[in-house]
Amino acid sequence: MSKFEVMYGNQAIAEGAIKAGCRFYAGYPITPSTEVAEILSDRLPEEGGIFVQMEDEIASMGAIIGASLGGLKSATATSGPGFSLMQENLGYAVGSEIPCVVINVQRVGPSTGLPTKAAQGDIMQARWGTHGDHPIIALSPGSVQDCYDLIIKAFNFSEKYRTPVIFLADALVSSLEEKIELADETVEIFERREPEESPEDYKAFAYTKGGVVPLAKFGEGYRYHVTGLLHDEKGYPTEDSELVSQWWDHMYSKIEDNLDDILLYEEIELDDADIALIAYGGTAMAATRAVSLAREQGIKLGLLKLQTIWPFPEERVKKLAVDMDNIIVPELNFGQIRSEVERLAAGQSNIEGINKADGNQITPDEILTAIQKHLVAGS
Amino acid sequence: MSKRAQKYSAYTDTWQTLMDVIIRSASLDKNRKLPLVLTSLAELPEDNSDGPAISFIHGPPGRNIALAIGLRAALPDTPMLLIMNADAVTLGMNHLIHAARRNMGMTLLILRSEVTDAVTASPVQRTNWHSFGIQDCIEKRATPLELATSLEAASVSRGSIDNVDQLSQLVNDAMNTPGFSMIGVTSDKGLPLGVLSRTNLPEYFDSYNEWAEALRVSIAEKAAEAIEVVTEEEPAKSSRNIPRHEVRIAGIGGQGVKLAGSVLNIAAGTHEGLWTTQRGEYGSATRGGPSLVEVVAGSKRISYPRTDTPDVLVLLNQNAANQFADSVKPSGQTIVDADHVKKVPQGAIAVPIVRISVENTGKPIASGVVSLGCIAAVSDVVSLESLKKSVAQKLPAKLVVKNIAALVAGYEATCKVLKGEYNG
Repeated sequence: MSKFEVMYGNQAIAEGAIKAGCRFYAGYPITPSTEVAEILSDRLPEEGGIFVQMEDEIASMGAIIGASLGGLKSATATSGPGFSLMQENLGYAVGSEIPCVVINVQRVGPSTGLPTKAAQGDIMQARWGTHGDHPIIALSPGSVQDCYDLIIKAFNFSEKYRTPVIFLADALVSSLEEKIELADETVEIFERREPEESPEDYKAFAYTKGGVVPLAKFGEGYRYHVTGLLHDEKGYPTEDSELVSQWWDHMYSKIEDNLDDILLYEEIELDDADIALIAYGGTAMAATRAVSLAREQGIKLGLLKLQTIWPFPEERVKKLAVDMDNIIVPELNFGQIRSEVERLAAGQSNIEGINKADGNQITPDEILTAIQKHLVAGS
Repeated sequence: MSKRAQKYSAYTDTWQTLMDVIIRSASLDKNRKLPLVLTSLAELPEDNSDGPAISFIHGPPGRNIALAIGLRAALPDTPMLLIMNADAVTLGMNHLIHAARRNMGMTLLILRSEVTDAVTASPVQRTNWHSFGIQDCIEKRATPLELATSLEAASVSRGSIDNVDQLSQLVNDAMNTPGFSMIGVTSDKGLPLGVLSRTNLPEYFDSYNEWAEALRVSIAEKAAEAIEVVTEEEPAKSSRNIPRHEVRIAGIGGQGVKLAGSVLNIAAGTHEGLWTTQRGEYGSATRGGPSLVEVVAGSKRISYPRTDTPDVLVLLNQNAANQFADSVKPSGQTIVDADHVKKVPQGAIAVPIVRISVENTGKPIASGVVSLGCIAAVSDVVSLESLKKSVAQKLPAKLVVKNIAALVAGYEATCKVLKGEYNG
């Protein structure tokens, strides 16, 4: 029996996190993510979990890494300025394969920027914010329902692939109130598994191709070494280039071999479309509306709504570029995803952006105006 | 090769001594779990699988204190032993201050530079932690032990790397002391050794657990005390076919516009079984800036929450009317406040919304709720009954009666206006 509830975005993120099994939160409050912390400061103790307000976002990221090593599903929430501070320890979690979820409710940057205004300017920071090559998973919710459903996915991916997952919400969905359907007992929750090997044979950082070994609860029978240095399968530092290259292969293949599982997107009226939109996060709401309005006018507009931002759905976008003469990418930045689309389209399709970073949102009308000239040109 | 060196051949001299201290301190209390060791020391042992069964975390410099807080939360029975040097008073200083201030359960050993100098040769590693760096000749010393004392850390002590027995006892004592303990490790023979200060304040997570337990009890008590409200089963999904229906209410801060948005959203979503969204832009009551809510409801999921062409538009003042009067759908209905909108737009009806709020509650704060009564009178998407239930759910108990009266008064006044029986 389905259950429905009216919630706002940050509330759905917090409740979804609880549903996913999050039992530790460390954070430093910042607009427009503060409600996630406020709600979890009540809900976590209620569920037997722990909420700690930290001195800053560097410490917040460090504490969730520690709690995750100790066996608790862990998360923090922030916005741009805090996300910048988290990059150092985020890299540590990537390299030492420690599951955790980092919620970034984006606002206009750089620096303090426009604290209350929605933006989608941290797309590339989510990909490359911490130094060095590294795989990462980032999801972006395009509705309050997505906030709830995708945060559960974020925890699942994080546990399944032993990686930080970045949850790129924005102020458009975080304060929006929506009636949503809550998960029932059939929803998939990926629980942390016990290692199959004996403590003597256990290799916490096994260079498994296309997967990971379960992370043993630290210090509970299983002994291993955790380090930010590149390490062998038991976790001890190594500079052996042969081992390092095996490590890279493991790190990238655990994501790239599982794209079918990780790449989440919705196709809205794309089948017979003459012109396509690619949108994500809060902007996908205006894009979806633009598709309905266009269809009412007899214009065959379709939408590829991205929910997984990183890894990028390269094959799907390449195919879309082959099928469409024109692709329009509305986003609240100056073209961070558009540049990815252009790279993949490789000249096969005309790619155009609708871009804003002034605190205003993109409207369905603006999208319809942008497609109008292609219809005239194409007719 | 010395006996100790054979035991842990992969370790440097400092680490051999430290491993002795860790093992010896552990053996002083066999009931205690083995500690987790968090360190950022560059001379970390490589494979220690032949050594004692201690797990190591080699965390980012300075950040081990933050990592230890998370580990402490997850593994309350496992002692956290941090072995740091300069990073504790440079990158880690802020974490150190707050961990000591909040009495987070961990034992932090700070190795003074002469202790690590013995085994390191490179210029950077030879810098002194008691100042911050290479130019220590011009800096005042960092004094972490005095700092921890002033922050009322659970225990603060000093041990010598040359006295393994005493140092092991100090570590054992610190690990048995709930809260944040700091041990300075020196080889300077001129400094006093032993416990320097001690407090008896509660450990952070002990306090947390006590507080959390009280919270759980109070939640359980509230749930037990709550009078069970018998309500009819609400339809999860409406059987009606309602196309996308947009409502916009525009006024100023202090008129209860934000609350009205939530009440309408719950009425439509929960009690009418429709899909809904609600968003707003709010002015504060004190500043009286423009306040706006938008509710969209319908039988299908609402993809976009803004109301570019509202079906029902409520305008509570002239500014709102100037801005939005033209946006209403041709088939839609505009309702304006009879007293505060001087130029009534064509096709609009005028209801003294703010006046009804003041009559029923003494304040303009219920104008939003009155507006909902007006909306129920001009549109059958959300019924007056659903709104009453939603008001009862959303408002504090003592305000419910007056607000329902305001809601009903708004509804009745609008019905009269529609019938031509009422004229402000």
